[in-house]
Amino acid sequence: MNVLSALVRRLLQLIGVMIGIAIVSFLMVHLAPGDPVSLLAGDRTNPAVIAGIRHQYGLDLPLWRQFIVYVGNLMHGDIGRSLRFQQPVAELIVRFMWPTLFLTGYVLCLAIPSTMALAVIAARRPGGFADQTIRAIGIVGLAIPVFWLGIMMSRLFGVTLGWFPVSGYGVGVGDHLYHLFLPALSTAIWLVPVLTQSLRAALIDGTNADFVTAARAQSASEREIFWKTILPNSVLPTLNLLGVMVAFLIGGAIIVEIVYAVPGLGSLMIGALLGRDYYVVQGLALVFAMATVAVTLIVDLLTAFIDPRVRV
Amino acid sequence: MSAGTKPPLLRVEGLGVSFAAVRAVKAVSFELQPGEILGIVGESGSGKSVTCRALMGLLPGAAHATGSVTLEGRELLGLSEQAWCAIRGREIGMIFQNPASHLDPLSRIGTQVAAPMIRHLGIGRREGLRRATALLDSVGIRQPEKRVHSYPHEFSGGMKQRAMIAAAIGCGPRLLIADEPTTALDVTVQARILELLRRLNEERGLAIIFISHDLSVIADICSRVIVMRGGEVVEHGPVRQIIGQPRHAYTRLLVDSQPGRKGFPPPLPAADIAAPLLSVEDMSVVFPARRRPLIGKAAAFQALDGVTIRVEAGETVGIVGESGSGKSTLARTIVRQNRPSGGTVRFDGEDVPALSGKALARFRRRVQMVFQNPYDSLNPRMTVTDAVAEPIWRHGLADRRSAVKQAQALLEMVELPSALRERKPHQLSGGQCQRVGLARALALKPQMLVADEITSALDVTTQAQILQLLIRLQRERALALLYISHDLAVVAGMCRRVYVFKEGRVVETGMADEVLSAPRHPYTQELVASLSHLAPATAGTSRPTGNCHESR
Repeated sequence: MNVLSALVRRLLQLIGVMIGIAIVSFLMVHLAPGDPVSLLAGDRTNPAVIAGIRHQYGLDLPLWRQFIVYVGNLMHGDIGRSLRFQQPVAELIVRFMWPTLFLTGYVLCLAIPSTMALAVIAARRPGGFADQTIRAIGIVGLAIPVFWLGIMMSRLFGVTLGWFPVSGYGVGVGDHLYHLFLPALSTAIWLVPVLTQSLRAALIDGTNADFVTAARAQSASEREIFWKTILPNSVLPTLNLLGVMVAFLIGGAIIVEIVYAVPGLGSLMIGALLGRDYYVVQGLALVFAMATVAVTLIVDLLTAFIDPRVRV
Repeated sequence: MSAGTKPPLLRVEGLGVSFAAVRAVKAVSFELQPGEILGIVGESGSGKSVTCRALMGLLPGAAHATGSVTLEGRELLGLSEQAWCAIRGREIGMIFQNPASHLDPLSRIGTQVAAPMIRHLGIGRREGLRRATALLDSVGIRQPEKRVHSYPHEFSGGMKQRAMIAAAIGCGPRLLIADEPTTALDVTVQARILELLRRLNEERGLAIIFISHDLSVIADICSRVIVMRGGEVVEHGPVRQIIGQPRHAYTRLLVDSQPGRKGFPPPLPAADIAAPLLSVEDMSVVFPARRRPLIGKAAAFQALDGVTIRVEAGETVGIVGESGSGKSTLARTIVRQNRPSGGTVRFDGEDVPALSGKALARFRRRVQMVFQNPYDSLNPRMTVTDAVAEPIWRHGLADRRSAVKQAQALLEMVELPSALRERKPHQLSGGQCQRVGLARALALKPQMLVADEITSALDVTTQAQILQLLIRLQRERALALLYISHDLAVVAGMCRRVYVFKEGRVVETGMADEVLSAPRHPYTQELVASLSHLAPATAGTSRPTGNCHESR
């Protein structure tokens, strides 16, 4: 009941957020320097042709009329045609989205179990040997730039040892897993330390909480206390952080996708930006924003599921 | 009493607990008979809580316990964790000071009450819940069938403590350790929890070790008492004897520090002038509800409803009420932290909410506030001298150098040792910090002081010192004092008139001794009845009126 009403409330808020995103992405593209028409027609076309193309794309209309047309099209799910690919942007994005989503899921599968394990080991004896070691390695993982790590790993494991492919996406789930292992690993290497530090701190706080003492006074076993009391109470801050990170991964796996030539949204974005493919950039901005909103919503629902106090 | 022929339920001999080099508990010995209620009293840091944690085997890893603790002849110290698990919650139950933080916020009350029974008695989840419902019923929670499914945040403080008690007694332990179980609760709620513990003691023969810093609560429920200080037992005996003829100097101090115990000089009669210094008339404060689109139906919260009070110049007026009764809202509205949504607040004839500019600055100099938590109300990065000097130069009453000089004089006046004056607040004790808070409030030479629960975070002995100081300052400087507290005994001891607040309204008002001796409103009667008193040491004073007559 309460979760449902929270959901309704969030979906209503979503409308405002979407309007904001539409305005910002529209303005960003239209106020940016450069001209899509010259891209389509080439630099040396005569002015009459350019004017014709402008008219065809509605670019000669005032900005506010263009925006109304844009919003009208959005309502029908039409977010424009790519100038370069000459395909609907929506189709394009859907095609490029799967590798990115797969990669994100893959990263989570690698990162979440290792985060849990490392944080628990580190929190067991704060300041102990294990804790210090995990922290030190974590800092190294954070400090190494992803592009450098990506290049080094593809050289070592891909070229020198020949264990993994260095580019592409493959066909079929097994092949995807095989192809995307190195990209997922290089992403997980900086993600895990961030999450581990957050979860470790929360676990240490949780261990000293009063209700843990109370549970001990009722002679709950340490295992039971950890799984039923400390962990659920500690996981929320990290869950929220993870949400931010996932949203970031969906929109920001650019470097990894370029280094490993994964045909994902990041590659599409770079191509569109370099080629001034306006409508693709606009559509991607919209999709990234929606993904962020959706991930936040999912995290909030999970939070409400775990914590009864936010179900209000 | 302890010389019975029965073997004791619990025998503690030479118990010592040390944390690395610090000895927190030194050679504590006592015995507890089955069905007895034993009190342990002492101020914070006296080692009483550590002693009880040692009895439960709940000491932190760094602590080292020596001596002997036997439960029905069985040695407990040095038991393995596994052996402890068979005792904790089964043979010995424990409840804690702050029930809000000791319940897991994420799991249902029923689950938490049932957990120890499922663990120890080998019953199933369904049977556990059924028994939890029965337990909640027996600790006085209404609609237990519904309430087992509630979460802790849906319970009030008193209900949470009842749930903790239910969880602790579920397996039928012989001994309950209660570590300051009512300190975080309102007096009326405290009285009901004590009543419940007494009933459990009688009905189930449950022996209780009751820890408190409040001697009057101990006197109310216990038959024997141990007085602890600095990790040692300084006195030990039947309650009546400890309170009637305290032998140790510290026990005497503790007894004398009880609110209303020591006669304060009689409050000054107010000059009968037509215009009061502060007059609040028919004031209401409404906090708007949180807006919730579409499903929003949360009503606005009325914190104060038609409150009328007046304070004459130089008069001490008390405000009493439980938490949530609107007494702090009143204080905050008087000093313009809230806006009244109806009625008037006048200070010396001026309309307070309408003040601005110079008149406002003048009002702020004339009315000062002292807060409940001295640590939170002082800037942690300033030395206490700077903290006291700040308002003086900020109001342009002196340059910075002479402001510091004045601050020194003020700290002298509140009896803060000069060695402590360059310290930061966290390097001071609570009582010292509250002295600084007082000095800062007096820095602007106000005509009126609003003191909001200024002693409720302090030990009884410290509280008595601060009150003594407050009374002295008030008389020396002819201050009007609005003293807000949940503790009727304190208020009645030092105030001339009192207002009793409940749910945002004034339910009773009058001269302090009249309200205390002949309360008319049912709530005030409950409040007076729930005052726990020391057994009258001075002969012949009847229960509720004793305090007042002493202070006459």
